[in-house]
Amino acid sequence: MKAVFITYNEAHSDSVLEALDKCFIRGFTRWEQVEGRGSRSGEPHLGSHAWPTMNAATITFVDEDAAARLKKYLKELDEQKPQLGLRIFTWTIDND
Amino acid sequence: MSLFSSAVKKPITTALMFVAIAIFGIFSFITLPIDLFPHIEGNTIMVMTSYAGASASDIENNISKPIENTLNSVSYLKHISSASRENVSVVTLEFQYGRDIDVATNDVRDKLEMIKTALPDGAGNPVIFKFSSDDIPILILSVTAKESMPGLYKIMDEKIVNELARVNGVGSVSVSGIPKREIMVLCDPYKLDAYNLTIESISSTISSENRNIPAGSIEVGSNTFSMRVQKEFTGSKEIENLVVGSYNGANIYLKDVARVVDGLQERSQESYTNGEIGGMIIVQKQTGENSVRIVRKVNQLLPSLEKQLPSDIKLGVIVDTTENITRTIGSLEKTILITLFIVMLVVFFFLGRWRATIIILITIPISLLASLIYLYATGNTLNMISMSSLSIAIGMVVDAAIVVLENITSHIDRGSNPKQAAVYATNEVAMAVIASSLTTLAVFLPMTLVGGLAGIMFRQLGWMVSIVITVSTLCALALTPMMCSTMLRAQNKDKDTKWHKAIFTPINKFLDGLSSFYARLLDKSLRHKRVVVLIAALTLIGVFAVCGPMLKTEFVPEQDNGRISVTVQLPVGTRQEITRDLALELDKRWRAEFPEIIRLGLSEGSADSDNLFASMRSNGSHIISMNINLGSMENRKRSIKEISSIMMSELAEYNQIKRFNVIAGGQQGGMGGQATCQVDLYGYDFNATDEAAAKISEMFKELGVKQTVISRDDYVPEYQVDLDREKLALYGLNTATVATFLRNRINGAIASEYRESGDEYDIRVRYAPEYRQSLKDVENITVYSSTGQAIKLRELGTIVESMTPPTIQRKDRERFVSVSAPLPEGMATSDMNEAITAKIEEAGLPAGVSWKFGGTYDDQVQTFQTLGLLMVLIVILVFIVMAAQFESLTYPFVIMFAVPFAFVGVLIGLTLTGTPMSIMAMVGAVMTVGIVVNNGIVLVDYANLNRERGMGIIRAVVDSGRSRLRPVLMTTLTTVLGMLPLALGRGEGSEVWRGMGMTVAWGLSISTLVTLVFVPVLYTLFAGFGLLRKRRKAGKAAALPKKV
Repeated sequence: MKAVFITYNEAHSDSVLEALDKCFIRGFTRWEQVEGRGSRSGEPHLGSHAWPTMNAATITFVDEDAAARLKKYLKELDEQKPQLGLRIFTWTIDND
Repeated sequence: MSLFSSAVKKPITTALMFVAIAIFGIFSFITLPIDLFPHIEGNTIMVMTSYAGASASDIENNISKPIENTLNSVSYLKHISSASRENVSVVTLEFQYGRDIDVATNDVRDKLEMIKTALPDGAGNPVIFKFSSDDIPILILSVTAKESMPGLYKIMDEKIVNELARVNGVGSVSVSGIPKREIMVLCDPYKLDAYNLTIESISSTISSENRNIPAGSIEVGSNTFSMRVQKEFTGSKEIENLVVGSYNGANIYLKDVARVVDGLQERSQESYTNGEIGGMIIVQKQTGENSVRIVRKVNQLLPSLEKQLPSDIKLGVIVDTTENITRTIGSLEKTILITLFIVMLVVFFFLGRWRATIIILITIPISLLASLIYLYATGNTLNMISMSSLSIAIGMVVDAAIVVLENITSHIDRGSNPKQAAVYATNEVAMAVIASSLTTLAVFLPMTLVGGLAGIMFRQLGWMVSIVITVSTLCALALTPMMCSTMLRAQNKDKDTKWHKAIFTPINKFLDGLSSFYARLLDKSLRHKRVVVLIAALTLIGVFAVCGPMLKTEFVPEQDNGRISVTVQLPVGTRQEITRDLALELDKRWRAEFPEIIRLGLSEGSADSDNLFASMRSNGSHIISMNINLGSMENRKRSIKEISSIMMSELAEYNQIKRFNVIAGGQQGGMGGQATCQVDLYGYDFNATDEAAAKISEMFKELGVKQTVISRDDYVPEYQVDLDREKLALYGLNTATVATFLRNRINGAIASEYRESGDEYDIRVRYAPEYRQSLKDVENITVYSSTGQAIKLRELGTIVESMTPPTIQRKDRERFVSVSAPLPEGMATSDMNEAITAKIEEAGLPAGVSWKFGGTYDDQVQTFQTLGLLMVLIVILVFIVMAAQFESLTYPFVIMFAVPFAFVGVLIGLTLTGTPMSIMAMVGAVMTVGIVVNNGIVLVDYANLNRERGMGIIRAVVDSGRSRLRPVLMTTLTTVLGMLPLALGRGEGSEVWRGMGMTVAWGLSISTLVTLVFVPVLYTLFAGFGLLRKRRKAGKAAALPKKV
């Protein structure tokens, strides 16, 4: 099993949901309106006067195939709209 | 869920809600009545008290003074004035504008109740009249006739007056200048004396012969019949054959001693229209009714009424007060459409996308229509104020939508899909949009709280613009995101059509070039802060020092409504024939000289007492009054001011004219009427004030004024019969009897009424005209004593020529006389006031005479004060809103520096164009205060943002300038160019609102230019101080020994 954590500009919200559906992933947990800043580049999303945009975050626990599919799919999405920002982090977890 | 996210999620609901607003607005627009100004309720009450037999000074002391003293304590009273003339006192109370006149009337009535017992015994009860602008006739029609002239009165009365009076809203319709039919019994005094007859006996015979009397009923057999004596005259010939007495056993018929003429009243007002004799029909409206609506109905009715008239009778319009209203509102409508078009061009120029342009522009009609719903709901009218508020608002309503659209576009360009971009992007700018609308509201909402005349004028403007701004903000937060989400696409530059590229590539290049030029300029100025501050300060001081003293002021600009009214007075007692000759001469001369004249209506002679309108105006056989209709100003080269000025010079050539008054526009002072300078002279002594009035009149003439009007009449010559009481007693007579004899012979006695087909005509018995032409004729009048002895009047007393003292006028409880003069061309009220003050101070006035400016000057001063106070209030409010937005006191302070430069712009504009500061211009200046800060807000806000993002001060400011120049220019240009049609308008009525458009356009453009450089410089200075202070604090903190 993999845990996939996706943080993205809130403008991506619908597209991320769509991606989950396309990859036949049913379960997920989402936080709307979270703040964050990328490690290397991109605008911070702080909901402040200077950086008014906000992020959203979604976590889902899926098997490795699905995780790979999702990753590939979201990567494409990110490359299409690089200015918005979308990052995916995965880690392996025990499936007790 | 927020407003914009639900709007985006429910596009149909959102769209239909705004459609509903638009539909209600269109409905309101169709049904709204139109008028020139907002309804101004009358603020004048008159109290009339008669006291028969008292002279003017008796009236003054016994009636006017006590009434004035008592009524002076009524609240909200502005002025109390009185006119005391023989037999009657008229006290006029002028209340402050906005005071409910019904409440005031009740107050006055209560106070009068208190004083009634203190008035002299013979005095009548004081009667209260309310007077308002509603009493001014709205329509004066001319009637000309040839063959039908003798029966014209009856024809008019039946066919026109009755029909028109039935129109809903018409108050009264009166006919003037058409003599009524009258049966005249003209007696020969010698024959009367020979047969021992008198006028009195003849009239009592006529009266007792002209009777129908029921005599009860009688039963004959099984029936009951009523008995009647039916001897009313059936024809005027019948009167001739009345037996009026007998002499030596023979009957004397009326025709033996008199001739009976069935004709027209002897002396009455005559009217001419374009030189043709005829009459006038005067239409007044009911209080509170809408003139335009009534006149429209009357005009619809007239053609069908005209058909029923004999073919030689022609109707025409001399004065139609609504023509000007309709044309003015029409020209404002045109102005609004032009403004809309200009704003559209500006938006398209900057955005370059027709979809985006449509999204922005759609907010304009919706917001404007919403404000019309307000007008409809509150029972207001479409008038000059409400319409020009719409024109003002057009340029401002798009601002909020532009900000929202811009942010949404940039989100879409970054890759968001339009639906989500619409929600998130709107969310980001919502607070800023609301805040900038609040600064605008901070200007216009306080306007709704102003009292007095300014309140009546500008409350509507305040509400209208406030509503427009609120609705446009709602539009920007709901409709704009909704439309963006459905209509906008990500821009694909390659897809642009050829022509689009051809047009917008250079435009974009130009705008980019402008931005980088501005950034360079800004960079340079930021490095020479002191120089910039010095230049700005010098400009400020320089402009205020140079243009300030040149600034002229006036109340409301004069409007060219195509009407001139002229009153000419010949010496009192001039025969009507002479007056008529002069009137026709003037008529002929002027119609030849001024081809602009469409219709010239004139009337001369004494008005009939039952003609309300005509008898209210001064009339008499020596007075000519004219109403001249010149048509729309757009169709002629010379203004009414020029034409009336020529008329004044020409009237001055006639030596026989005693005084004249040419009024351009048909009314003086007030809203758009002829501007006059009025000097009120206070003093008890008649001779001293007369002398002072003559002196001031001379001063006016020296200043180029062509006519002056002194409110006090001269002593009027008249003949008095001075009866000797001892002689009267000798014959058992008294003054009253003799006076009645005299009156019956000269004025005539109404003996009875002659009835014909439902109408009644007076039967008047008097001496034939040839027997009452000289003093000798009067002296020879025979009076009969109670014993029947005939005595000639000359035996009872003498006839002496004497002078009646003029009316005693008082204002604010002191005797006064006013001298008023229309301003010559090119002179503003303030110029004339200064010039005349200097002259009066130099020459001095007789002892015991003091002076003050009268007329509308009071209103002007008061209104200017109110508006000044309003401006201070607005500056404070705007500051508060900005301080709350920035959560800082420094930045609003920096932005506020734009305000003095707005005044610099206003001053330069007014001075260059030579426009005086009117209350309209003043309101424009007040508005500018709220609008100019918006640019500063945008710049400072973005500079702050840049600094928060980590830029240094100078870079933050330069970058803010570069990237915000476009929106600043766009919003400013929509507002400034939106004002241009108002400022440059040449249509009817444009004189009035031109000042407002001009001040806003000049104030805003100059202050924007200055703001773009000066505000960033100040920002850098203050931000630098702030930084320094912070560092010092940090340094001190570091230097302190650390706590362990």
